[in-house]
Formats: sequence, structure tokens, C-alpha cells
Amino acid sequence: MNLYNPAKENFTKYIFFTGKGGVGKTSIACATATNLADSGKNVLLVSTDPASNLQDVFDMSLNNKGTKIKEVPTLTVINLDPEQAAAEYKESVIAPYRGKLPESVIANMEEQLSGSCTVEIAAFNEFSDVITNEEKRKGFDYIIFDTAPTGHTLRMLQLPSAWNTFIDENTTGASCLGQLSGLEDRKEIYKEAVRTLADGTQTTHFLVSRPDETPLKEVERSSKELFDLDIKAQHLIINGVLEEYDANDTISSQLYNRQQSALKNRSQALLNLRTFFVPLRSYNMTGIDNIRNMLNTDSVSSDASNKVDTSDYKDLENLIEDMYQSKKRVIFTMGKGGVGKTTIAAQIARGLASRGVKVHLSTTDPANHLAYVNTQIEGITVSHIDEKAVLETYKKNVLDKAKKTMGDADLSYIEEDLRSPCTQEIAVFNAFAEIVAKADNEVIVIDTAPTGHTLLLLDSTQSYHKEVERTQGDINPAVQSLLPRLRNPKETEVVIVTLPETTPVFEAHRLQEDLARAGIQNKWWVVNSSLLLTDTKSPFLKAKAQSEVQWIEKVKELSNNNFAVIAWKEVVE
Amino acid sequence: MEGLKLDTRKEMKIYDPALCCPTGLCGVNIDPELMRIAVVLETLKKKGVVVERFNLRDNPQVYVDNKTINDCLMNESADVFPITTLDGEIVLKKAYPTNAQISEWLDVPESELIIKK
Repeated sequence: MNLYNPAKENFTKYIFFTGKGGVGKTSIACATATNLADSGKNVLLVSTDPASNLQDVFDMSLNNKGTKIKEVPTLTVINLDPEQAAAEYKESVIAPYRGKLPESVIANMEEQLSGSCTVEIAAFNEFSDVITNEEKRKGFDYIIFDTAPTGHTLRMLQLPSAWNTFIDENTTGASCLGQLSGLEDRKEIYKEAVRTLADGTQTTHFLVSRPDETPLKEVERSSKELFDLDIKAQHLIINGVLEEYDANDTISSQLYNRQQSALKNRSQALLNLRTFFVPLRSYNMTGIDNIRNMLNTDSVSSDASNKVDTSDYKDLENLIEDMYQSKKRVIFTMGKGGVGKTTIAAQIARGLASRGVKVHLSTTDPANHLAYVNTQIEGITVSHIDEKAVLETYKKNVLDKAKKTMGDADLSYIEEDLRSPCTQEIAVFNAFAEIVAKADNEVIVIDTAPTGHTLLLLDSTQSYHKEVERTQGDINPAVQSLLPRLRNPKETEVVIVTLPETTPVFEAHRLQEDLARAGIQNKWWVVNSSLLLTDTKSPFLKAKAQSEVQWIEKVKELSNNNFAVIAWKEVVE
Repeated sequence: MEGLKLDTRKEMKIYDPALCCPTGLCGVNIDPELMRIAVVLETLKKKGVVVERFNLRDNPQVYVDNKTINDCLMNESADVFPITTLDGEIVLKKAYPTNAQISEWLDVPESELIIKK
């Protein structure tokens, strides 16, 4: 594993940095771009950073056309906003029908186009324009993207390559491709973009991860997905590696050991990738100097010893007591992967059980044994939602029913529909509903929650099914009672879990807005893994802790002061 | 002569609400009605009888341009779906036609609407 140094690399023309939110893609992409531009190359940096902190980084306003950076003359930055592009796309689709179709129909169309798929397609749409632009190809030595189609985007990406088979051969006209239906005329551009993405002589993919167990597992999945799409030019960057530790400081040595053990245990698939590391930095990535230094040096800022008043930070006990006092029946912990949802759900379950409450804990992360230690002794029942198994059961269930109703019917049609991306969400949703229905008898704590978008879509589908007279579809009563229950703040609490960093806080904010759209109010937030609450003596980690303050303040504002902060711990989920 | 024979078969069209997919699998419940109709139409298509089917999600323009459908929709709200028309006339609302109805309207023996192994 070598230190990541762009000056020593032979890059392809197109460079993608890909990975989950919060791993530092934008910072590394900026640093790479600046570094290459400093060496005299003509560089185009294309950012879709949803937290939009690029304008702070370069201290100038950016747009989607391209802005030359004053301190780095050969660097041009394009800042794309896929959210806005998606909103414009949605409006362009819906506007012609306003007043010509009933309000309820318009509302449903809007919801159909409000999911993450629409945003991701909008992002890909904009990517494609840049990748296939001949002028840019000629004008720049390097074109760097701080995001790449990953995870869900990848699945959507498979669709353009499936377009041929779908549109030409699929005589049944399966319409789960509805998201792409308005974009058919862009088929050629997409094809070209996908071809460039997979061409190792033109494009390199840098997978970015953190030196921790969960992010490394996630990046392994992304890597496999890329290989499955025949994208083989992959390298790995581990961002935030603590190079040495302060032997006199417990926190620093624990952090070091935790990182090293996660790195040592990474899978063979990851070991096979060419791997670089970027050292942990104590500062937030703002200002051109920090960006330039990111790959070179760290300078501990002088105000690191400033004492921050943390006295108004609540802890998990306050949260649990509030859940207990307000007699909540259903408690979700919600957040992106790696923020610690499962551990916090288990802690809440324990806290309630110790107050004599009958608790059922359900998790989607069966690998987290830690969370369940002693749960039986404490009187907590535990169940797992195995998402893969649930999906298989659901598919089988559908096919069995289909066979029954249709005799010897040709089932390939149904099978095609079952490959649609929404199938997974629906399958898991049914499992959710079953567990939440138990809340009549016990308090339910679940380490994940359906998104507001899924709830709204299902709600409209469900009301439709109720209206069709002849329908024989048996709506699961558990499903029917789910949404009203979730919308009842007396019964339900969704606890949003995040980390004291830019992107995680931004992503958590989006989850909150999405829930609000579905009529679900959230009260509590948890900021996990805070170094600020540790007693670290290391000047470096103290400086790092300082950089958390602004994000904890942001959570304070977003949560209306209902937030708990949990100290960084050696052991995580 | 065989080739000159005019097709006197009526033209059937089905207007769906905004469905995620024609089988309705994207809903929480599996609706056998939606599956039945999807398979029957597929069977008809293989026999050369094309029944056009529209999904409000994907073809909203059709619901605006077709006056009969649009009037029905604006006057009676979105609860009227699905709508079936025969030569442009609405023959059924709020339900999918039964195999017997399809057989009668399109002059296809009911037994042929079910695919056999």
C-alpha cells in the first residue's frame, strides 16, 4: 500500500472517484485535480458533490458550464447539481399536464419522479454530456469526476445496455424502464458514455474507502459490481489512515489499532486491487491550501487546544428516557451505512429493557454479533431481516401465485418484472410491516427504516388497489396499518443517526426532508463517533475533534436541539 | 380471396392508472387480476390480435389527447381506472374485462386465451 501521489501516477484521460458518501471523494478529486494542474496539465474537474462544498473549497461561485480557478490557472471546475437537474426534468415531464389531468394524478406522477432513481439518472445524463463531448476531450489532458455511477446508479446503468434487448426484443413492453422513457433519444449518448466508462485505456476508477470494517465491505461490493459490468480498471484509495500513533494517548492507539485490524482483514478481492492510502487530516477540506496539502503535509492548527463547551450535548440516556416517558411503541434508527445504526438500536433496546419495558429488537445486519450479546438475559427478543432471503422469498411467492392463477402461462413475463429495482424495496417492506405489527404487544426497535419516497409510492398504489372493485389482491393487514402507525408521532420515533462530518450530516438532512414529505416527523438525532467527547491528549486528534464542532452545531439546528452525541469508541458495528 | 378479407374485429384498448409495471408487482400485494390481464393480452398478441394498453405513468399524453378518456377522467377523478374501450367507446370502468368479455368482444374462443404447455 503506497501513499497516494498523483505526480507519480500515469493517469488515463478520464478519472472517476467512486464510493459512499463521506469517504472523501470530493476532497481527493480536488486534490488530484489541483496537483495535476499545478504540474502544468489542463484539467477539468466535474463535481456532483451533493453537499456542494466545492464553492467553499475554491472560495468562488461555480456553475454547470465551467469556471476557471484563479489560484490554479489550468484548472476548470464544473459543478453539477443532479438534484436541480432532476427537478427540472420532473417539471419538464409534468408541466404539460397541469390542468389537463386531475390533481391526484399529477401528484402521483410527481412522486413517481421524486425518487433517488430520478436524481441518479439526471446525474448520469449530465455525466454523459461531459464524457461524450469532443471539444472537452480535446481541450483537456485530464477530466476528473468526483462521483461515479455506483450502487443503485450502477443498477440503473445496466439499463442502457439492456435497452437494445428491452426495446427491440421485449414484445411485452415491460415498463419498469419508465424512468428512462423520456430519454430514449439519448440512447446513443448513453451507450457511448458506458463504453468509455468500461474502456481501461481511457478511464480509471478509483474506489475510495475509509480504513474501517463497514466501508471496506461496502467498497468490496462496489468493486464487484463494477467487475460485473466489465469495468476492470479499478484502483483502491483508503482515505484517512492514521500513520502513527501517540503511545501515551489511549484514543490515538485504539484508533490506530482499529484501522490496522480492519485493513489487515480486508478481503482478497480488495487485496487484488492496486491500493493507495491518504493520511488522516485534522482539518476540514476548505481553501485551496488545505486541498494542496491534503496529499502532502498536515499542520495542526494552533487553536486546537481551545475548549469547546459540550455541556448542552445530550447523551443516549436522555434519548432513551424520552422514548420511555413518551411511551413510544416503534423506534427506528435511520442513517447511511457505517454510522452505527445497529449498535445504537441495540443500546436503545437495552435501555428500555432495563426500565422494565418488553422490547423486540430487529436488525438488517445479522453480522453484528456485538449488538446482541446478552440480549436474552436482558429479556430482549431479537430478529433479523435478511434482505437477500426476504427478496428470494418474495420472488418465489409471486411466481407461485402467478403459476396458480395462470395455469400453464408463460412466466417469463413476470420474471422480467421481478428484476425491477423496486422489487427489493417492496420485499423488505413487507418484512418491516410484519415486525411493526407486533408493536401492539411490545416495543419494537429496528435498525433501519423505509424511505419516505417508498412509503408515498406504496401509499398511492395501495389506495388504488382498494378502489379497483374486482381486485383480489390480498393486501396484508400489517401493511395497511403501517403508514398510519408511522405517521403517528405518539407511537413512532425515527432516530436519525449521523457522524460529525460534512457529507454524513448533509445526507442525514436529506433523509429528514424525505420523511417529512411522507408525513413522518422526526425528533431525535444522534451524532455518533465524536472525538470531541473523548479525552484524547493527541494534539492531532484534538485538532480533528475541533473540526467536528461546526457539524454538531448544524445537527443542533436541524434537530431543534434534540440531539445526543456519542463519543468515539474503539469498537464499532 | 383470403388476403382481401377485411378485419372486422373490434379494436380494444385498455387505459391503466399510473402503474409501476403492467403486472402491478411493484405494489405491496400481488394482484392476480393484473397478472391475468397481462398474460391474456400477451397471448392475444401472439395470435396477432393487438390490444393496446396504456399506463398513465408512461403515456400521460394519451390521457389528455383522447377526449373520451380525458372527459371521463376530469369528471369522475382517477378512481375510474382501469378503462376499457371498444372502437373508442367506453365499455368498462373500474375493472379489467373478464376472459368471457374479451372472448365475446374480440371474437376469440375463450379457451384460446389461456396458454397451454
